[in-house]
Amino acid sequence: MKYFHRWIQFKHIRTRFTVVILTVVILLQIAGLVPLKFSLIHHSNKIAENQLEVGERVYENLLRQNAAGYQQAATVLAADYAFREAVATGDVKTIESALVSYQDRIHAEIAYYVGEDGATVVHTANTKEAARKVDLAKVSAQYNAGTLRFDIIDGKPYQLISVPVKAPIVIGWIVLGFQMDQTVASQIKQLTNLDVTFVQSTEPKNWQMVGGTLSAQAALALINALPVLLTEQQSIQQMQSQDDAFHLKLKTLYQGNDGEQLVVVLQESVTKFVQELNTLFLTMIMLTFIGIMFLAALIWYTTKKMVQPISELADNVSQMTKGDYSHQIHIERSDELGQLGTMFNDMREAIQQRTLRIHRLAFNDELTGLSNRLSFMQGVHKAIDAHASMHEKFSIIVFNIHRFKPINNLLGRDFGDDLLRHLGQVLKENVFSPSDIVARLDADEFAVLLQHAGEAKAKAYVTDIVNILNQPVFVQDQTIDVRTAIGVTIYPDHGLGEESLLNHAETAKQESKIKKSEYVIYHRELEVDQSETLTMITDLKEAIAHNQLLLFVQPKIEIATRKALGGEALIRWLHPTKGMVFPDQFIPFAEQTGVISDITNWMLQRACHVLADYKKRGVSITIAVNLSTRDLNNYQLPEQLAVLLAQHGLSTHALKLEITEGSLMQDPERAQTVVRKLADMGFHLAIDDFGTGYSSLAYLRQLPVQELKIDRSFVMFMDKNSGDASIVKSTIDLAHNLGLRVVAEGIENAGVLTQLAMLGCDEGQGYFIGKPLSEKDFDHWLTTWEGSIEVATGTGTAKQSTFDKTGAKGYHPSSATLS
Amino acid sequence: MKQRPAHSIVLTLPFLVAACFVHAAELTFTVTDASGKPVPQAVVAVFDGKSAPTTNTATGKIIQKNRQFNPDVTVIQTGTAVNFPNEDTVRHHVYSFSPAKKFELKLYTGVATNPIVFDKAGVVSLGCNIHDSMVGFIYVVDTPLFAKTDANGSATLSVPAGAVSYQVWPAGKLKFALEQKIKVEGNATVKVALP
Repeated sequence: MKYFHRWIQFKHIRTRFTVVILTVVILLQIAGLVPLKFSLIHHSNKIAENQLEVGERVYENLLRQNAAGYQQAATVLAADYAFREAVATGDVKTIESALVSYQDRIHAEIAYYVGEDGATVVHTANTKEAARKVDLAKVSAQYNAGTLRFDIIDGKPYQLISVPVKAPIVIGWIVLGFQMDQTVASQIKQLTNLDVTFVQSTEPKNWQMVGGTLSAQAALALINALPVLLTEQQSIQQMQSQDDAFHLKLKTLYQGNDGEQLVVVLQESVTKFVQELNTLFLTMIMLTFIGIMFLAALIWYTTKKMVQPISELADNVSQMTKGDYSHQIHIERSDELGQLGTMFNDMREAIQQRTLRIHRLAFNDELTGLSNRLSFMQGVHKAIDAHASMHEKFSIIVFNIHRFKPINNLLGRDFGDDLLRHLGQVLKENVFSPSDIVARLDADEFAVLLQHAGEAKAKAYVTDIVNILNQPVFVQDQTIDVRTAIGVTIYPDHGLGEESLLNHAETAKQESKIKKSEYVIYHRELEVDQSETLTMITDLKEAIAHNQLLLFVQPKIEIATRKALGGEALIRWLHPTKGMVFPDQFIPFAEQTGVISDITNWMLQRACHVLADYKKRGVSITIAVNLSTRDLNNYQLPEQLAVLLAQHGLSTHALKLEITEGSLMQDPERAQTVVRKLADMGFHLAIDDFGTGYSSLAYLRQLPVQELKIDRSFVMFMDKNSGDASIVKSTIDLAHNLGLRVVAEGIENAGVLTQLAMLGCDEGQGYFIGKPLSEKDFDHWLTTWEGSIEVATGTGTAKQSTFDKTGAKGYHPSSATLS
Repeated sequence: MKQRPAHSIVLTLPFLVAACFVHAAELTFTVTDASGKPVPQAVVAVFDGKSAPTTNTATGKIIQKNRQFNPDVTVIQTGTAVNFPNEDTVRHHVYSFSPAKKFELKLYTGVATNPIVFDKAGVVSLGCNIHDSMVGFIYVVDTPLFAKTDANGSATLSVPAGAVSYQVWPAGKLKFALEQKIKVEGNATVKVALP
């Protein structure tokens, strides 16, 4: 069976079923038909045999009847008184004449009388030979036994009958002879439907036909076969002629001593049987064939019915393999296949669900239900293909929420999540077409793809969004002011690939963030030219060397008492050709290239100079200077500061050092070492821009800082936005709990100042108190501020210089109205 | 077929001794067939050569009754006349084609007109032309010494002493058996075994 399978590989179950069942059926049919064929042959032989046997009886009967008839007729003669008288008196002539007339009357070929003594023989003219051969014993024996008697007389076969002549006892016999010829054979054939042939031999082995129904050719064949046939002992024999086969039955009717023999042959053509047999067999084979065809059709149909669901399942699985789960399987059956179908459907749905989930996880942002970065990038890719072929434009807009981290940290993750969902909703609701894609790329970064949208459409969309977001957002029973940075790129104007498009949008968004503009559409100038940067650095070094830098101070007060405390040192660059350059235009490069150390140095020296000046005038103020990452990683900084302070005769209390969360992160160990050293030296350290970074209060607590500066973005609108107010309040409370002083930046009106006072904020700065001022203006402010301190007359006040702090907050006049 | 029965004769010694002293003796014939069964109705005739046939005036009678000859076997001496009275209501046509006596009594009832005289020794077979089943035999012998065996196949004849011959044949036989010669010297039993 293993080899069988190896040989035959079925592609379909149906074929296998059909072939196997048909093979079995055909084998069974063959197993039935072969014995049947033999049985039929046997049966037909039996029938032939029977027919021959019946034929034999019939022919015997016929001859016997003939004999009886003749005997009857002869008896009449034998009983005739006159004939008997003639016999009794030995009247030979009378006897002979009576026999002649009788012979004529009953058409006997032979007629003679023989006396009981055997001596008296009277015969008719043509019966001499017969009379010569007479054998009285045979005559009476045959008569008494009632058997048939044959003889060959004068070379001709005869059937002999005899009747006794009684007077009243037997005194003699009348013997009559009838030739066995064609007529008799025909008679027999008529009754038996068998061919009858009489053959005789008058001398040994010299056979000749003396009468029969066979054709000459068949007779010849028979004569030729006869010697052999006679030696065989079977009751039924077979003979093959040129074009026919026969069953034969031979019977010797008479056998003389001198080789004389008379044989009757009954024979039947086998061809007839063979033909019938073949017809029957052919019919059976036809029926079998039809049956098998019918069976094949039935199996084919049934297996189709049976296998169809499996095929459907297979198709379905192949569809599923391709990722198409939409096709329901319909198998209207209650059997196992039906169950399988149902289970398949269940499985299909389960897989579909899972696939959808995986797809969602892979391509969707779980929080907002929007697309994720991956999916968005794919969408952009497709859009590029589609729009490239149509020569159309589309837009990518990137949104970023300002100060999302502190919102999340202080108002809770749930709040942050709701805010993100809300923004996503807003973005989604305002797209132009369902094919537009809204995605959340990062924590607080969203992107929108507007199909078939050029700059005008993009602007319209952005404007809509900005207008909506200008209204305070109401989330979880709190209103919060959401400000976003928005960058826009247009395909194909600003990029041909999805990466470049998105990167450029990011760049534009960054620009929007820096410039606090509503949105920025990408333009090439946003890409800072390296050479320009190098020029800038050279210029900057020159600026330090040639004193082009100016120190600006933003005033700071104690909120509770409104007393002026001093200010934050900020830098300005008075470029020989470009005029006033703001820090955001050179501080980032300065930080990247290390020039920032020089700037910090300059700032510290300048601040110390100013402080020393005030100290001489007896004015006690503090000035805060921002330290960069590089500064914090500089182990020499504490030493340098000590030297500087010593030069100006200042204590560590005069100078405040502001550090950002970010600056601590680059090399935390190193930074902390430096910070601790500074703290140990007695410097007052403040965390600047608190809320925009990513550090937690818990981390800050480990730092030796004394002060926390709340980023202005939280403070500016806290009188309007309860969310902002909550953040500020939480921050103040937490800071106080940690023993830190809190400084609020960005106080722009009296309300905020009042609110901060109520919240217990320690210090404050902002436009409402004073914008960044030149040294001279600051000096003036000190004297004019309501909580002003006594300032000695302006001797030695440093020349006016303009400073702003790094990090670019609040340097621009217009920023007062922007977030 | 020719029948030649072999007669075996057994003479017991006492009879032989007694025969020397008497002129007539009793001969008892016991006839058996080949298997030893007694044969009844067998005809026994003894010829002494002296009792030559004289004029015989005896008459016999064979009755036809119930379509049978009665008796069916009759022994008569030569010259005996036999009547054939018909006691049936139907007619009979009695005939004989036998060489010893051919005759024909045409259809008659009652007693035929003339008795038939059998003047020649021989066997006469009687038949009826109307009724084929009627068969009868008349044995015509040239001696007055004859008898038919009884049911035991035995017949006794009183014969003169001296050399005699005898013939035995069973009923229905047309031919005489060959004569057997014996010497009669007293009462004796002759055993005849038919072939």
